[in-house]
Amino acid sequence: MDQKEFTDMIRASRRKLNLAGFLKMLVFALSVGAGAGILLQALAFVMPLYYVNVYTGIALLLAVLTALVASLIRQNTMEDAALVMDSFGFQERIITAYEHLEDEGALPSLQRKDAMEQLKRHKDRIRISVWPNRKKTALLAALFTLMIGLALAPSRMKDWAGELHEIQQAAGEKEKEIAEVLEGLEKLAEQEELTPEQLAALQEMMESLQASMAEYGQVSSAEALQAAGEKLQFKYENMSSRMFDMAQSIGNGAAFSPMSAQSMQAMAERLQEMSGNPSTANSLASNQGQSGSGQNNQNGSGQNNQGGQNNGQSNQGDGQGNGQGDGQGNGQNGQGNAQDGQGSGENGQNGQGSGQDGQGDGQSGQGSGQNGQGDAESGRGTGSANISRDYVSIPNAIAENGNLTGNAGNHNDSEYFRDQNGLSWEGIHMSHEAVIGSYEQNAYEGIASGRYPSGMENVIKEYFSSFH
Amino acid sequence: MSELDRNKLQDPAYMAKRIADCEREIRKGIIGQEEIIRQVMLAMLTGGNVLLEGMPGLGKTRLVSTIAKVFDLSFKRIQFTPDLMPSDVTGTNIIVKNEQGSSFSFERGPIFANLILADEINRATPKTQSALLEAMQEHTVTVGNESHKLEEPFFVLATQNPIENEGTYPLPEAQLDRFMFKILVRFPSKEELKGIVTLTEGSGAVVIEKQMDGEGLLAVKELVNQIPIADAVMDYLLDIVMETHASNPLIREGASPRAAQALIRAARAKAFLEGRFNVSFQDVEEAAYPVLRHRILPSFDAISQSVSEDDIIRGILTAKKPKI
Repeated sequence: MDQKEFTDMIRASRRKLNLAGFLKMLVFALSVGAGAGILLQALAFVMPLYYVNVYTGIALLLAVLTALVASLIRQNTMEDAALVMDSFGFQERIITAYEHLEDEGALPSLQRKDAMEQLKRHKDRIRISVWPNRKKTALLAALFTLMIGLALAPSRMKDWAGELHEIQQAAGEKEKEIAEVLEGLEKLAEQEELTPEQLAALQEMMESLQASMAEYGQVSSAEALQAAGEKLQFKYENMSSRMFDMAQSIGNGAAFSPMSAQSMQAMAERLQEMSGNPSTANSLASNQGQSGSGQNNQNGSGQNNQGGQNNGQSNQGDGQGNGQGDGQGNGQNGQGNAQDGQGSGENGQNGQGSGQDGQGDGQSGQGSGQNGQGDAESGRGTGSANISRDYVSIPNAIAENGNLTGNAGNHNDSEYFRDQNGLSWEGIHMSHEAVIGSYEQNAYEGIASGRYPSGMENVIKEYFSSFH
Repeated sequence: MSELDRNKLQDPAYMAKRIADCEREIRKGIIGQEEIIRQVMLAMLTGGNVLLEGMPGLGKTRLVSTIAKVFDLSFKRIQFTPDLMPSDVTGTNIIVKNEQGSSFSFERGPIFANLILADEINRATPKTQSALLEAMQEHTVTVGNESHKLEEPFFVLATQNPIENEGTYPLPEAQLDRFMFKILVRFPSKEELKGIVTLTEGSGAVVIEKQMDGEGLLAVKELVNQIPIADAVMDYLLDIVMETHASNPLIREGASPRAAQALIRAARAKAFLEGRFNVSFQDVEEAAYPVLRHRILPSFDAISQSVSEDDIIRGILTAKKPKI
């Protein structure tokens, strides 16, 4: 055996040791990864984790990478390999010979010769096992089996996670859409020809859209998504109407460039188009009848507004026509009226629902295009939404008494419905400021009449002054 | 017996074979005690001194005399007693009358020999014991202003009785450290005792033949010093010595650096005796006991728990065993 053959044998052992080290590390890392995977899969049973399988895959991939990196870092040297070879009964001959390969002394030479002879004679003794410990491998297999079993096991939470994911995706798309609209509005707001009022209106629109965007960011249920969608559509319609007005006023003004009016008009049309798009939320809503009703009503409303803005005089006619037709509960009439307003026949498809809405439409039609938007707020339904509101809804029992400080009826469940602002109680709508003002007035009257304990007057005053 | 081939004094293989012959020859004269013979041989190959501890009559003197015969070395025995004076060991200047008149002449003491058996060394006073220090370490003797070099090879094999402590002077640590090995001579087994009785009380006397000489022994010592040691083995060896200084409730004082030197030499010699030219972990482990047992001072805890020095060393070897 020459020196090259000797070092080649050590190198071969080193390769085996490195492979064994990698496999050992891999088994350990995969066991940890599988443990993490089991934990993730178990978590998927109690909380929505749509990407649980992806996370599990990532955990396993990380385990493999960690094992690879760790085994690269902890690679065996030739000396390590020689020592391991010596452990098969060579009494440190191989390591000593390897470390003194270049030593030309009589004894080191003799030692090398002895080591090589021994290695040649007893090389069969060297049996470096590459495969990892059987028990550890069996444990890994058990962990993998458990992990796969958990991954394949069905559960309601997993189904819900899938639904939630779709909701969040839809919300994400909406957020993108809103961002695009916001961008367009910002460009419009940069035009110097706009009056301060128009700028303020644009600013208000942008803030309103940003609120919707934030709302979409917090969406966690189909109902919430639907409510947000309805609210957004309402806002789009509202904005579209206002944009048309602004475009018209710009068009009439000599000081404005035609470009401004055109861009405003384009934005209004775009918003109108967006408000007319079927909402993703509707497709996801469990209560199909409810969402269908609401959507059609909105569409009808938007069309009325459009008609009102474009035709001026004919608004009244449209509104009245709607009111009459819908009030009779005639779906056909509703459709016809809608066509009068918009010139499209999309929304008369809902018979009964439209009939109810029609009453409102009639009233609004007499007013302005904006009122027409509010008319679309019908469609009875049930559900709940955890969304901030722009308006305060007063239940019927209180509203009918006309006394905001009174008790709410006989404690029966109040009827409620869903509108563009989300969940609302059946009854009248008042602005937040009006409600606070009313409360404030009552509070101050109470202070004047001495209804509250002394010393609390300032507390009450400070409380209400904080709203201003 | 074949004569030692002077041309092959630097031939490791040849010399290893001759040393193996020596060991075999010693075994002819000593029944049993293989481990003792092996350890004394290790000390001989590295030029170290040996402290033999055991009961009287276990064949210590016979062992030393046999070794002297096999290696063809001059042998002197000094019986240490409380009234033994240093000059009784080293020699002294005496007045010599001759034709020119009177003059001082150095009269060599019994220490001027290749192999010294210092019997019951702990019975002499510390002053006399210390007379050996220079001889053991420097291989010289200083009397008056004159130093006298001792003949090489020079070995001291001292004995002491572990039981009879009355009227003894325990060897100071400094002197103990000069002994490369402390070897415990145990009582022979029944089989060994039968062999001993047959050998000594029988009619046929065993003839011990010379296998080596001083020159050959020095050559072997040179060869042993050249035996390569792998880094991993050296690390293990040093770890063992360092561990005697680590926090250990059983150890009051650890081994000196001289212990590491002795351990290296002993491990090399053991490898050579086994016909290998490299030091193994096992060589280090086996050499550790005689090298360290008199260099470790057990703590009160160890003494009270009857933990011997060998137990402590065993614990250290286990703790520091290389994990491959």
